[in-house]
Amino acid sequence: MAARTDGRPVALVTGAAQGLGYATALRLAADGFAVAVNDISADARLTSLADRIAGLAVPADIADPDAVRDMTSTVVGQLGGVDALVANAAAMEMGPFLSQDPHIWWRQLEVNLSGHFRLVQAVVPHMRPAGGGRIVLISSEWGISGHANATAYAASKAGLIALAKGLGRELGPQGILTNAIAPAYIDTEQPVREYRAARRLRSVTEFRRPDAAVVERLVGRAPANLVCSVCFPGRFL
Amino acid sequence: MSEREGRGAKAPVALVTGAASGIGAETAAMFRRRGWRTAGIDLRLSDTDLSLRCDVTDAAGIRSAADEVAGQLGGIDAAVSAAGYYEEGIDVCDITREQWDSMLGVILGGTVNTCAAVLPHMIARQSGAIIAISSELALAGSTTDLHYVAAKGAVLGLVKSLAAELAATPIRLNVVAPGPTDTPLLAPDSPWRKADYLATLPLGRLVRPDEIAAAVYYLATEGVMYCGEVLSPNAGAVI
Repeated sequence: MAARTDGRPVALVTGAAQGLGYATALRLAADGFAVAVNDISADARLTSLADRIAGLAVPADIADPDAVRDMTSTVVGQLGGVDALVANAAAMEMGPFLSQDPHIWWRQLEVNLSGHFRLVQAVVPHMRPAGGGRIVLISSEWGISGHANATAYAASKAGLIALAKGLGRELGPQGILTNAIAPAYIDTEQPVREYRAARRLRSVTEFRRPDAAVVERLVGRAPANLVCSVCFPGRFL
Repeated sequence: MSEREGRGAKAPVALVTGAASGIGAETAAMFRRRGWRTAGIDLRLSDTDLSLRCDVTDAAGIRSAADEVAGQLGGIDAAVSAAGYYEEGIDVCDITREQWDSMLGVILGGTVNTCAAVLPHMIARQSGAIIAISSELALAGSTTDLHYVAAKGAVLGLVKSLAAELAATPIRLNVVAPGPTDTPLLAPDSPWRKADYLATLPLGRLVRPDEIAAAVYYLATEGVMYCGEVLSPNAGAVI
């Protein structure tokens, strides 16, 4: 990892105000990263997290291409570059396929898949001159298995898995290693009743709390030859 | 299906998007050879019993087309979402917003619109099968075509979710993810046609479009035990 403005390598984590993103930011900071923490709004959780880890709060709507470009410029300008990206922010709105509002349906694709693709496009030009980097796309078990009444979320998360493999292949020779994580249900704030009900049936109890250990393995002390992998923490198969 | 034929009723109906060329055309031809009536939806006219011109990104247009197919032919027994196109040779950072949005709109959006259009008919008759065409590139990744890879990957999540959502009904949804296939989608000078690439395939050749069509037909007819499955005829490109 390149040493940046204050000597620390730089990580950008989206969706960092709570859950897995929050846990990831703490872990990476403890590993010595300067962490830029993003979420959709500049609420107190984000700013206090940034303060706590001597990082940088960069609120932005991932679905907004201009905001993503500006956010990347801010991170590069203030912290010196981007060595690692953890694409974790996600929109989820469950409902039967045939009765979902198309705007609500496609918003999930815009945030989870298209928005993060544009973020990757924004950060890769900064990783290339540094000789490499790490990209972790946070997918979901539902991106592998699908889930009833979650067509948009599952489609976006499946797209991320395929994208991780494509990015892994295309950018691997440039020293930028991309991997994906497809966690089983995590006890975060996604406020969906059915999601919580399903969680009781299938989650592995001890993995209910968001655990950034796997993310850390793919970013901080990452093996130099791990690319295109998909990891399934908490999943039985 | 056999029950219907046994009673001497009209032949079953297959609706195929992207029926004007490539895998879509070969799929429509396969269904016709097996005695089905075919309806083709494409930007251009197709060699089908009922050929309709419509852009798969037009949700309302596809809905009207499906309604017309059901109205004129009596129902929709199978639907195949094969409409799509391919672009490669583009660095990931150079894929424009228009290129990304267009690819996602046709590949994922076209499949969404097709499913939304045919499912009400299938649900009303409590019968039907839908097959979406994804790609082996979504399973194994690729390079310089990442908008295609992501869109074909998203189709997998959509169809698996719908398969689960409809599992309590007789309607089945599955995916065929072709490996490199000999269709006009691969340009004559495409890297996928080069000898050194073909030598990397265990079977040493491209897959034929009629072989892809056979996998689609199987899932639409005999494959009643499959739910959210992904069959990938790929000459061994992914084992």
